[in-house]
Amino acid sequence: MAPRWKWKGAEAKALAEPISKSVSELQLSLAKTESTGSLSSCNVLLAVEPEQAELLDRCCFGRLVLSAEKVKKWIQLSFEEAFYLLYILKCIKLSRQGRFLESEVEIWMYMRTKRPNFPVFFKAYSHLRSKNWVLRSGLQYGVDFVAYRHHPSLVHSEYSVLVQSGDSDRLRVWSDVHCAVRLSGSVAKTLLALHVSGNSNREDLNLPTCLGNYRVEEQTISRWSPELSREDDETTSPKPKVTNVSNLKTP
Amino acid sequence: MEEECWEASSSSETEEAWFAADDDEEFHSGPKLQFRVGSSKARWVTELGMAEVEVKRGKLWTTTGIVRTGKTYCFIEEALYLSEIGELQILSDDDAVIPLKGLYEMVAEEKSGCCWESYEVYRYLKGLGYILGRHRVPWTSKGAEIMTPSGEEEDSVTKLLGDMLLSDARAVFDVYLPNSRFKKSSPGEPSFVACLSGDSPPSKDDVRALQSRIAAPLRFCHISQGRVSFFSFSSIDLPVLP
Repeated sequence: MAPRWKWKGAEAKALAEPISKSVSELQLSLAKTESTGSLSSCNVLLAVEPEQAELLDRCCFGRLVLSAEKVKKWIQLSFEEAFYLLYILKCIKLSRQGRFLESEVEIWMYMRTKRPNFPVFFKAYSHLRSKNWVLRSGLQYGVDFVAYRHHPSLVHSEYSVLVQSGDSDRLRVWSDVHCAVRLSGSVAKTLLALHVSGNSNREDLNLPTCLGNYRVEEQTISRWSPELSREDDETTSPKPKVTNVSNLKTP
Repeated sequence: MEEECWEASSSSETEEAWFAADDDEEFHSGPKLQFRVGSSKARWVTELGMAEVEVKRGKLWTTTGIVRTGKTYCFIEEALYLSEIGELQILSDDDAVIPLKGLYEMVAEEKSGCCWESYEVYRYLKGLGYILGRHRVPWTSKGAEIMTPSGEEEDSVTKLLGDMLLSDARAVFDVYLPNSRFKKSSPGEPSFVACLSGDSPPSKDDVRALQSRIAAPLRFCHISQGRVSFFSFSSIDLPVLP
């Protein structure tokens, strides 16, 4: 499926401002101001300068929390987004209940406790993010993430992403497959399953370094319609619609 | 339709030598499933788990049945499909016509390498004009170099049936796009291979294992309430973006 750019000139704009460049700018800016986010049981709240808020938006990290405050902007980050900025880009720090959190391991453990599937989800998230794909929540589409080739204002997302690990029960029955594929198709996206494997040794999961042991395999799942595909083979002559075997007699 | 003589080993290998270019079909105005007198006839051979075609009518035989030493044989799904649409009568040893009920039972018994799910796939795609052959079963003897010590061709056919029902995820049919110029002697590569995966969708490893030995795209069939759906599970690698 080719990317669907939202307006004429969008593709050119995307080429001129690659995501990797925006991410680098963001990284530098946040590190410079030693931005610190506040960790709660389900997200991270980050106070930033207006320009930083703009950068975060450009890379699609977090959601702006609307408030009357003018000097600072408040951004709400998911665990994946926050940990990516903390652990991969190393441009933010975290605190909890006023206490500054020195240890990445402590943060990782905390997030894991709140969300047992966090390690697998984070691996999937960082796998695509590190390839410069833009990821956002896929809740509206019944999936885990939606993946964009660039900023959502420029392009429609191409993939709806489901994270699968060895012991997950996603897509284990056919009706799940029908459902997920149908949902994706109805919003013009391809269903992408990210299979995260490795790390069967439970103890390793206590450390973010376990991320190195994970492997991510990408798999698209799509439905094929036999009625629509009968004429797309260039080696055959175009066929009329055949409804029974006797039509084979006609030359 | 022209057919080259492709078999050097046996003079009667040519498929086309067998069929009468018989245009006695009156389908233009009649109902689709009109049973015709003088339709094809085949005899069921229990030891083979296949029917040996004795009388051929129509060009449908260019895309149905396998050829071995000049004879054409068809599998239960082919026999049943053609019987359902009134193109074929299957006879038992005593020349009695095996009724549809009997053929359905044979499919249900699953002793001829075809289960009901496979049959649904076969029937659905055939009805749309696709050409189907059992996976890894060559259309002609040229492709089947299997020789048993006794040299009997029948054994090679029987052996193929044993391969059919293995693991849960398995390749069932080689599927070709509708093609009026299809030749059993050189069918080319199938458009895709239809697979079944049992009760649940195939695991990533099942897909990988099958795809590693099959060049053609795989499509997994889900049969439910008489409806057949096809899904592809394809490995990809999203590009690194700028």
